[in-house]
Amino acid sequence: MSAIEAHNLGKCYRKAGVGAPTLRDALKRAFLRRPMEDFWAVRGLNFVIEPGRTIGVIGPNGSGKSSLLGLVAGTITPTEGTVRANGRISSLLELGAGFHPNLSGRENVFLNAAILGIAREDVRKRFDAIVEFAGMRDFIDMPVKHYSSGMYVRLAFAVAVEMNPDVLLVDEVLSVGDAVFQTKCLNRIMDFKRRGKTILLVSHALETVEQFCDEVMLINQGQLVQRGPPGEVIFSYLRTYLARVGQLTVEEYGTREVEIRQVRLLDGAGQEAAKFTTGEPLHVEVTYHAHRRIENPVFGFGLKTGNGTYLFGSNTQILNYRIAAIEGTGVMRLTINPLTLMAGRFLLSLSIHSWDHSVQYHRQEDLYPFLVKDDPAHHGVVQLATQWELKPGP
Amino acid sequence: MQSLVIAWRHRELLWNLASRDLKGRYKDSVLGLLWTVLAPLFMAAIYIFFLRLLGGRGLQISLADIVIGVFAWQFTVQCVTSGLTAFTGNANLVKKVFFPRLLLPTSVVISALVNFLLMLVVQLPIVALLLWHSGGAMSIWTLALPVVILYHTIFNLLLALLVSAANVYFRDTQHLVGLGLSAWFFLSPVMYPLSFVHDLAQRWPWVEQVYQLNPLTVIITAYRALQTGVPLVLTPAALVGWLWPLAVAALVLWAFDRAQRNFSDYL
Repeated sequence: MSAIEAHNLGKCYRKAGVGAPTLRDALKRAFLRRPMEDFWAVRGLNFVIEPGRTIGVIGPNGSGKSSLLGLVAGTITPTEGTVRANGRISSLLELGAGFHPNLSGRENVFLNAAILGIAREDVRKRFDAIVEFAGMRDFIDMPVKHYSSGMYVRLAFAVAVEMNPDVLLVDEVLSVGDAVFQTKCLNRIMDFKRRGKTILLVSHALETVEQFCDEVMLINQGQLVQRGPPGEVIFSYLRTYLARVGQLTVEEYGTREVEIRQVRLLDGAGQEAAKFTTGEPLHVEVTYHAHRRIENPVFGFGLKTGNGTYLFGSNTQILNYRIAAIEGTGVMRLTINPLTLMAGRFLLSLSIHSWDHSVQYHRQEDLYPFLVKDDPAHHGVVQLATQWELKPGP
Repeated sequence: MQSLVIAWRHRELLWNLASRDLKGRYKDSVLGLLWTVLAPLFMAAIYIFFLRLLGGRGLQISLADIVIGVFAWQFTVQCVTSGLTAFTGNANLVKKVFFPRLLLPTSVVISALVNFLLMLVVQLPIVALLLWHSGGAMSIWTLALPVVILYHTIFNLLLALLVSAANVYFRDTQHLVGLGLSAWFFLSPVMYPLSFVHDLAQRWPWVEQVYQLNPLTVIITAYRALQTGVPLVLTPAALVGWLWPLAVAALVLWAFDRAQRNFSDYL
């Protein structure tokens, strides 16, 4: 039996009906017979998820990911089609949704647990563990209105993971709390996975999705665009959407006397990829076309982290790689070996400009995103070649 | 019927929500739970004072009747006013966590019921004292109060379901309900006995018939009859007043179920 099944699932919102509704609006609509604008948050979704699978849901903002989770959770009623989940569903959609600001953390733990369907007896038994997990021992009898937002969410998460669901829905909750708490959260979700629960995970943290999920669904404009192995789907997401939708500060300019026609990112085996491994080579194959003969062109590249920190830039001029002239179509190959970047999302910029930097023929800023996976023993942004040497005293 | 099953299955959550409501209401207030009783007592005192002042000495009103009426009215008001915000005040909860929506207005009514029972603990001795003062005594029928309380609670629950759902769709509801409650207060025998409408009824006999269709009329009259020992006259109109809320209960539950499906779109 499948864990989650959706048939032709659709959810339509009326644009006019969104927001605080009033009788006046309704009357106006009834009398004026003004057609209401429909907005389909999700439409025509068909999928079956087998039990025990961890499925990532990715897509640009407003693509319908959260609506999909709401539909599966049952908090949103479908406009058309059906969605069915077998077994107990629990959602980590909004942490602390049922908290009452005036009640103490202790009272809220029990209240929240009841809302989530956890038996009071179980909570009583696990109470200390919950408080310990949240790291809230000193504050548990304080009204939650005095909590910091981090404390609030930590306590809520600690309660929520006490559930023993068959299907777990996670919506971007992993982005809360500090690094230590995030690791704790991920471990808990890993635990669910090991116990064979079905997990539906919505996240913008693509590395997390890649790391956790057996499969990834790519959603855009309410439609299921692609479903498959994480690496593949994330790759096409990065290539197709991130650049197009303008989530990145994508820029492209230049005189186009030389044009960058095609760019392929290849791994050590020469395969096109979106995910690379620390310590292994990364090749960038730039297919260019020069409309006229260009003397002394310079090819350059730059790398930024996913959040825009400039990491490294270089060009053929700096490396003393003289190109006398180019004309017509050709391929320029850049090899970065070994790739010393650590895990994360990176953006590649490319440019072709004149020897004296006065003419920018074609520059593509942040147009090529890619992921790097590393060995988890190290931390940081870049990998440095290091060695230790011990000189014991006499 | 199905709703009852749902409510029973989630009784733990219901109780948690109700106690959240109760605890939340009086946290940080000095007199706390005392307000539950103080508010209707003050109200009763004000009504008595002004009725005496305006109506003069000749006015035949029993103090016990007013106290009983105000306390019972207070129960309904509390259910309706907190029912209004059962969903709109918990938007986050409704949108993000799935549980039967029926539970929110039900929990509100349960907390109001607990409140009402606490109020009765104070009200009963007061009424006994007032009756003793005027040479009467509490009726043995007072023991039958739970039946009326049960009916009153069911009636309040239906009201809470209606206003809570309506307020999700139209925020105008809270204003309309405020007006409605003021009108209803005077249309129900809260601060006057049923006999007050007899004068009117002599000119237009149908007035009393219609008047008795108001469930709150028959409920408050029953509270009074049971405690003061005045015989309860069950006219055909009063019988209809008792029965129609139960008859439409299924319809209310059905409408509520239909309405709750789109709650998360409107919150």
